[in-house]
Amino acid sequence: MANIAIIIPALNESRSIFPVVSEVKPLATWVIVVNDGSTDNTQELAQKAGALVINHKTNRGQGAALETGDRKAKELGADIIVHFDADGQFLATDIRKVCQPIIDNQADIVFGSRFLSSSNELPWLKKNIIMPIAKIVSRLFWDIRLSDPQSGFRAFNKKVADKLVIENDGMAHCSEIIIFAHKNKYRIKEVPITVIYHRFGQNLGGGLRIIKDLIYKNIIQ
Amino acid sequence: MWQQIIALIIILFFIWRLAIQKKKHKITKNEFSFWLVFWSIAALAILGLKFIDKLVIQLGLSGAGINYLLYVAVLILFYMLFRTRLKIVKIERDITRLTRDEALKE
Repeated sequence: MANIAIIIPALNESRSIFPVVSEVKPLATWVIVVNDGSTDNTQELAQKAGALVINHKTNRGQGAALETGDRKAKELGADIIVHFDADGQFLATDIRKVCQPIIDNQADIVFGSRFLSSSNELPWLKKNIIMPIAKIVSRLFWDIRLSDPQSGFRAFNKKVADKLVIENDGMAHCSEIIIFAHKNKYRIKEVPITVIYHRFGQNLGGGLRIIKDLIYKNIIQ
Repeated sequence: MWQQIIALIIILFFIWRLAIQKKKHKITKNEFSFWLVFWSIAALAILGLKFIDKLVIQLGLSGAGINYLLYVAVLILFYMLFRTRLKIVKIERDITRLTRDEALKE
């Protein structure tokens, strides 16, 4: 059986971290919570729920937290790494769906898509303005044709994990991972996932920041 | 003429502030040298406005030399802003590296 590590970056998620960890724990070998400089009791609650907690002393962003979690998972010897959110917007039951194509050796990296499932009720602005713009940018600049270019729910195998280094500390990591997977010609698959929106998430300003971060990353390299 | 005098007084004020900062060891020798050269060039440009006017005409451009000085100044400012931004991004990356190393060692 494959060893699965679920990485959950968390910043001040004391309201949701305990149930999230409790729900995903039976589905994985390790649940790694990267406490990204929280000022509440996220760390204690995650530990209480049975997660392995890594503490960033200061907030470094979701991308940075995921990279820290990935390194720990690789150190532990994970066969499959899953990126999952701490705010309870994803369903634990979808973890199996995201991992299955990797277990069946049909894909190296699997992205959960909010747009392949008809049951999702996305905010109007996100569905009709922000995501179409993100799709156009992805197609135009990187020739990427995924239905959800900003999906934060993904799983990948050891082959991908060994090569992947997330360099964008902020939210641009979503695009960065997709671009990385395409460039390296990994077998990519999308599966429908259910998302329950508690918060709006990325707005238009956040989207522009992602594009700016990706540009700076390329300049600095 | 009096505009040039005011501009030169302002530049002298900046050079004086620069010297004070250097004396108090608030800036490095390299920083001091850079800004001293920068303000000296600005002072020379102001003193040689008539020469710049002639140069602009010889280059086949219309308008006063002072306008072109301003355009160049804005370009330099944009470039410096861009360089500063890049430096901040690099520092941010270093902070992340340190934070991560420390977190994984615990």
